Amino acid sequence: MGSAADTGPISAAGKRWRCWRRQGKHVAAGGQGLALRRGQGPDRMTDPVQPVTAPRLSRIDFATMAITFFSLGVTLQVVLIDSGASSTRAFVASAVIFSATSQFAYLAVREGGGGDWAAIAAGWVVATRFGILAVSLSPKLPKGFSRRAAAALNAFDPNVAVAVQQPTPKLVEREFWRTTAGMMLGWFAGIAAGTLLGNFLGDTQRWGLDAVFPAALLAIIGNLLRQRDGFIAGVTGAIICLVLLPFIPAGLPIILSVLGVAIALTAVRQPKRNQPVKPAA
Amino acid sequence: MTTLSIVMLTIAAWGQRLVGAFLIGPWLTKRPTLTRAAGLIPAAVVMAVIVQLTLAKGRDLVIDERLAGMIVAAALVWRRAPFIVVVISAAIVTAGLRALGG
Repeated sequence: MGSAADTGPISAAGKRWRCWRRQGKHVAAGGQGLALRRGQGPDRMTDPVQPVTAPRLSRIDFATMAITFFSLGVTLQVVLIDSGASSTRAFVASAVIFSATSQFAYLAVREGGGGDWAAIAAGWVVATRFGILAVSLSPKLPKGFSRRAAAALNAFDPNVAVAVQQPTPKLVEREFWRTTAGMMLGWFAGIAAGTLLGNFLGDTQRWGLDAVFPAALLAIIGNLLRQRDGFIAGVTGAIICLVLLPFIPAGLPIILSVLGVAIALTAVRQPKRNQPVKPAA
Repeated sequence: MTTLSIVMLTIAAWGQRLVGAFLIGPWLTKRPTLTRAAGLIPAAVVMAVIVQLTLAKGRDLVIDERLAGMIVAAALVWRRAPFIVVVISAAIVTAGLRALGG
């Protein structure tokens, strides 16, 4: 992957694609706007000049992504309804916030006896993750404020991870939106199903759902913890929270756990971001 | 969730992305240490949330069935098990131990 020979077909296909786009615009300007629809361009499935690229989203990946977000949505709704939110409120909250981690953080502080603002602050800190994802995605997209803004607003871990590995801005954008579609599909189906399920379960402790909540969070940040500095930040953050929890007001231990980042930075000066490639032999 | 929190968290989740992409991004990428630090925040904070959810009851620290569920979940995450497997296993272990303990 990534050898010089791979770039040939990519740029050829890129050129054809751009050419077709220009043609489309031309036709549209000529007053037959609707005559040329998307599907009438070069067919991706049959086009012989298929770009050879880095990891693309296969059907199985697409399904896995949708199922993951589906189960995340179900989990979140069940936990939200268990916390006392009405079905409508829980559904609206998850549909507009669309951030399971921030909502989980908020709920965790509230359940620990913290106030609304302390809980909101915890949710904000956790949501910085999205800002960082947008930072890494944005420069790789095709130029243009609206396209970049639209993509940035939908930055999540899986779609950014797939997109940033693509070789050209066009492919970055396409793979990004394909992955996003899978996530959205799973998420909205999941929160709808979870809202129904949440009203049926009754005593959620009996079903072990209080353990589902932290387990879901762990699964979300699993990849981050696999890096050395991520692991140290996580462990120190956890220790800070654990030590402070009995002594200071709820919510604060979670917010103060960001200090774990400073410790991780001092402990791991030269992070091995680029793991050595497996020996070819 | 209160209405205030829904509004504020919506701004948090969507607004920080725009700020990241257009305001902070160009500035941040020139400062590698800060970029690294920002990338590590979720690890620290989410782990803190996990610890609180696993070991706290109000403001007391307790060890109960949830911890066993989390240990199983951690092992599964380490082995890169699918999300749904992690979550369901944690629930089964916790619920199972509770049922056994009466």
